[in-house]
Amino acid sequence: MARPDRRDPDQIRALNSVLGQLSRADGSAQFSTGSTSVVCGVYGPVDVKLFDEHLDRAHVEVKLRPDIGIPGPKDKWLESAILQTLEGNILAHLHPRTLVQINVQVRADGGSLDACAINAAILALVDAGVPLRLMVAAAACAVMPDGRIVVDPVAEEAEAARSLHTFAFAEKGLGEGEGPVYVDSRGVFGIEEYDACYGVCERAVGRVLAFMRSAVESKVTKESHVAGA
Amino acid sequence: MQTFERIHPVEFQRRFLTQDTRLSGREFSQFRPLHIVKGSIGTAQGSATVRMGNTIMVCGIKAEVCEPDVKRPTHGYLTTNVELSPMCSARFRPGPPSDEAQVASEHIHRLITPSVDLTSLCIEENKVVWALSADIVCIKYDGNVLDAAIVALVAALENLKLPEVKVDPATGVVEAGAEDGVQLGIVRRLFPATFALVDDNYLVADADDAEEQMTSASLLVVLDDQGQMVNVWKRGTGIISRDTITECVAAAAARKSEIERALST
Repeated sequence: MARPDRRDPDQIRALNSVLGQLSRADGSAQFSTGSTSVVCGVYGPVDVKLFDEHLDRAHVEVKLRPDIGIPGPKDKWLESAILQTLEGNILAHLHPRTLVQINVQVRADGGSLDACAINAAILALVDAGVPLRLMVAAAACAVMPDGRIVVDPVAEEAEAARSLHTFAFAEKGLGEGEGPVYVDSRGVFGIEEYDACYGVCERAVGRVLAFMRSAVESKVTKESHVAGA
Repeated sequence: MQTFERIHPVEFQRRFLTQDTRLSGREFSQFRPLHIVKGSIGTAQGSATVRMGNTIMVCGIKAEVCEPDVKRPTHGYLTTNVELSPMCSARFRPGPPSDEAQVASEHIHRLITPSVDLTSLCIEENKVVWALSADIVCIKYDGNVLDAAIVALVAALENLKLPEVKVDPATGVVEAGAEDGVQLGIVRRLFPATFALVDDNYLVADADDAEEQMTSASLLVVLDDQGQMVNVWKRGTGIISRDTITECVAAAAARKSEIERALST
């Protein structure tokens, strides 16, 4: 059975990113997979509220705005997912008593939003020059009622799926059984399906990471040309 | 000893962990015993109290009648609310619910919604349905509230009894009849098990508050009645390898039978 957008089961949607689009943020990135698109702006390190100040490290904060309406519990949940994935990855001890604020704005949700938001946030952190321990990226897949595993599901597929899986992996140790940074698998599934999804997402993350690398590289090359001229 | 624990809590815990033991005397893979009392709140339609060591959660479910959503005229509502107030731990501040509480509420809501048959809450299509609001309140906080909250909610849902209801077709007035009429259709029960990576090295089951303070990653595995996985949720940047996660799923199956036994008493 063909997918709604006629992709292969293991084919991710076209990736697109724009770095440094927001002029007033310290770093920003727009990350899109097909119709799902997220903009993220990072401020940091900046002044921190006394209440949030840590003597030995920077405070990391994620604020997420949905595409429609005001933030609700769903958005709080995704905020926490992004924070949990990235917080330990930021070398916060290099900037004690400061704040790193990650602002995420959903532009359009066409499925696999969680993974897209994580990817946008990490690219924005890179663009802002916030020191990171590792490069991380996320991907999602779905197990359809007939047992097919499709990567990067669109909203329609996610709706019909028997289970949905979002994984984030670090670039270092990818494919060597290092273990995921973030997992959210829901639905009804057995351990074999989980393992299969793990493999599918791991390969997809590899492609996303390669894309991110080329996106950052091309921006750096462009900037160095300007500086050189 | 107590001074050491207060001044160097991390080092204090580490002394135990390096000796392959825990302050509580539990094995790394050992969960705390679970005690469940169903129907602990007389004024709620369904309730349960769950105790896991020093973590105590109470779940009360109130039922009200209201109009269904236009898009889903035969579905009732089930809302979940986890409360982590300063009553249960000094870590929480008074005021609006903390992020932690909101995330727990939302996560439990996502888990429970496909696990109950919301059409069993329909009284009259397009007109009247039950709206259940499950309040899960933490009385004592000693780590792993998510497990305790899920078990408390499942126990309270099993305990739930809704009165028989009649709708007067002429006036549209809803009237409650005999008590203990209808029960909620439960598609599957949920059996959670949380594992925490403490001090980047030691994977412990069912971490208590002191251990949670040093946790760099946590893994929640939820199984259903058949032992199928319903949710795997790994958070935090600590590394839990692929094989370890598989082992945790097996350990969760053992925990499932413990919870089943506690639920049936």
